[in-house]
Amino acid sequence: MPSLFEKTPCEGLLPLAIGGMTLTEIAAERITSVAPFAGKDRAVGAALKALGLGWPKPGQSVAGKGGRILWTGRGQAFLIGADPEGLAGIAALTDQSDGWARIELSGADVEAVLARLVPLDLGAAAFPKGSVARSSLGHMMMVLHRSEDRAFEIMVFRSMAATAVHELHAAMTALAARAAAR
Amino acid sequence: MRINCPLCGTRDRREFTYYGDAIYADRPADGAPAEAWDDYLHLRDNPAGETRDLWYHEMGCSSWIEVTRNTVTHEISATRLLTDRKAPAKGRGKA
Amino acid sequence: MRYSALKVIAEGFSGNKGWKPAWRDPDPKPEYEVVIIGGGGHGLSTAYYLAKNHGITNVAVLEKGYLGGGNVGRNTTIVRANYFLPGNQEFYSHSLKLWEGLEAELNYNVMHSQRGLINLFHSDGQRDAFARRGNAMINQGDDAELLDREGVRRHLPYLDFEQTRFPIYGGLLHRRGGSARHDAVAWGYARGADQRGVDLIQNCEVTGIDIVDGRVTGVQTTRGAIRAKKVGIIVAGRSGQVAAMAGMRLPIESHILQAFVTEGLKPVIDHVVSFGMGHFYISQSDKGGLVFGGDLDFYSSYAARGNLPMVEHVMEAGMTLMPMIGKARVLRSWGGIMDMTPDGSPIIDKTDVGGLYIDCGWNYGGFKAVPASGWCMAHLMATGESHEVARRFRLNRFATGHLLDEEGTGSQHNLH
Repeated sequence: MPSLFEKTPCEGLLPLAIGGMTLTEIAAERITSVAPFAGKDRAVGAALKALGLGWPKPGQSVAGKGGRILWTGRGQAFLIGADPEGLAGIAALTDQSDGWARIELSGADVEAVLARLVPLDLGAAAFPKGSVARSSLGHMMMVLHRSEDRAFEIMVFRSMAATAVHELHAAMTALAARAAAR
Repeated sequence: MRINCPLCGTRDRREFTYYGDAIYADRPADGAPAEAWDDYLHLRDNPAGETRDLWYHEMGCSSWIEVTRNTVTHEISATRLLTDRKAPAKGRGKA
Repeated sequence: MRYSALKVIAEGFSGNKGWKPAWRDPDPKPEYEVVIIGGGGHGLSTAYYLAKNHGITNVAVLEKGYLGGGNVGRNTTIVRANYFLPGNQEFYSHSLKLWEGLEAELNYNVMHSQRGLINLFHSDGQRDAFARRGNAMINQGDDAELLDREGVRRHLPYLDFEQTRFPIYGGLLHRRGGSARHDAVAWGYARGADQRGVDLIQNCEVTGIDIVDGRVTGVQTTRGAIRAKKVGIIVAGRSGQVAAMAGMRLPIESHILQAFVTEGLKPVIDHVVSFGMGHFYISQSDKGGLVFGGDLDFYSSYAARGNLPMVEHVMEAGMTLMPMIGKARVLRSWGGIMDMTPDGSPIIDKTDVGGLYIDCGWNYGGFKAVPASGWCMAHLMATGESHEVARRFRLNRFATGHLLDEEGTGSQHNLH
């Protein structure tokens, strides 16, 4: 029996602090993909309500005491930090806890860093706190969530963690260099 | 080119994967004659002007979207989820 | 007028006043034996070989713009015979042989340069596939050499042999492959056809095809009606619209393919290099510009321009393969309209309308086919039978399942 060891997706890569911005790995939480079965939208909504949440509209998230649920696609949302109680039988549930690298980028210039990698308007008016988008980080698929006014949660496939950190590191460094040259 | 995803809003073309003419959504029934399959797989109106085709929001919400688009100007006049398409389009393949 | 070195010298001493236009500018006659719709490379070479090989000179070529103003003047000029499937092989082999004698044939400098084409491969599996393709080329009577990594390095020392995404395992060298001057091919055929009596009629758009009792009788144009016993549709990306005038629906979708040229540089790339895995190919023109391109933009389009994501992709692929080109500045880029078939192979065939023929579906490989396409289309229009090297380019092969899917990507127009 080989001896396995536990390792987070970004172990040895994070944290980084560059030019007043920080990039940190988000502590592991349970992630469940929830995809309501046909005709069960209402029942899923009720079950989520019992968890203190609700079904998120496209591009949005719902936060409660026990966790969060992020819209992640057509007919799909990720329940994070809560157990999927009451959802079995009315939605396809998939445990994705170990499938994603979750990174938080925070600081004054977060939008400027992401503007180098993400083809979206992430200004506070267009993308306020709580907003969620499926889009690309460079060439990678991503779930992007504005978790605080000055902080974004970035989720990429776990196998792409090093590339994501590399891309974000390059963007943070370039932005800091440009600010220093001013 | 930017495409208006009915769920995500207007997004850059690079988030989408092009599949082909909207005829791909009208798959012939099992047992349809060979001509129907030839029509479906090979023959195209190929208009210089307004056309409808299928795009997959691969880097986004994973929706299939029917895009009404001008092949000369690249202007996009309408989009809808493929699941919102009620009946198959009429008037195709009767040349 | 015959061009020669002596003529150039003589004209040089007499103020270059003796040159005449390379072809006439006739008004359309009311009737021809054959009308060719489309004054591009394929249309002009068809007219030339109708006259030359079959003695049919009562021919008009109708062009809605100017001669050679379409894809033959907008491509990346690669000439090769490296096909794999029977059906394609013999055709492109025939075409390359015609290219090799073309300048003498046309008395026109088409700047055909057999500088060698190298297709790179990046895995053991791809090496096997290329070895097989090379053997097929040799069996056909053409040339191919399988190069290992060091062999490629001897020819192309400037490639990045350290990059790990697509490490260079070797390449298939096709020494008789190369390039030519695109416009000159159209002009050479135009001049040759004109000298044999063919009327080349520019600014003449076909607006309708006249059909009586299932037989073509002529065409309607912006310069009046023209009667004809036989009509050939040779209009590349516009095939769908012209065929629709005859009530036909074709197995063709028009797609956009972009290409790029840098400022003129001293000689630096002396082969044609293709990097299929990265979607990139490049050569250097005789004017010094690096001529390169990539894959389709992938969506159907008639706009002669593409979108930026593919520009970025092509530049990235180029930088991955040969970082030295990062110093070159792109001078211009453009998009061509490709008549894509569901199997990536062309069509040279009769239609269901008597006397109406069609030559189309050249995907993004039409330039090298210009001589043989005209040769075979002329043969078909003159004799009513497919030429033996083009016998598989049938219009109905999709319905019958006799596809020629060179890339093995299936029945989808944009994947070839």
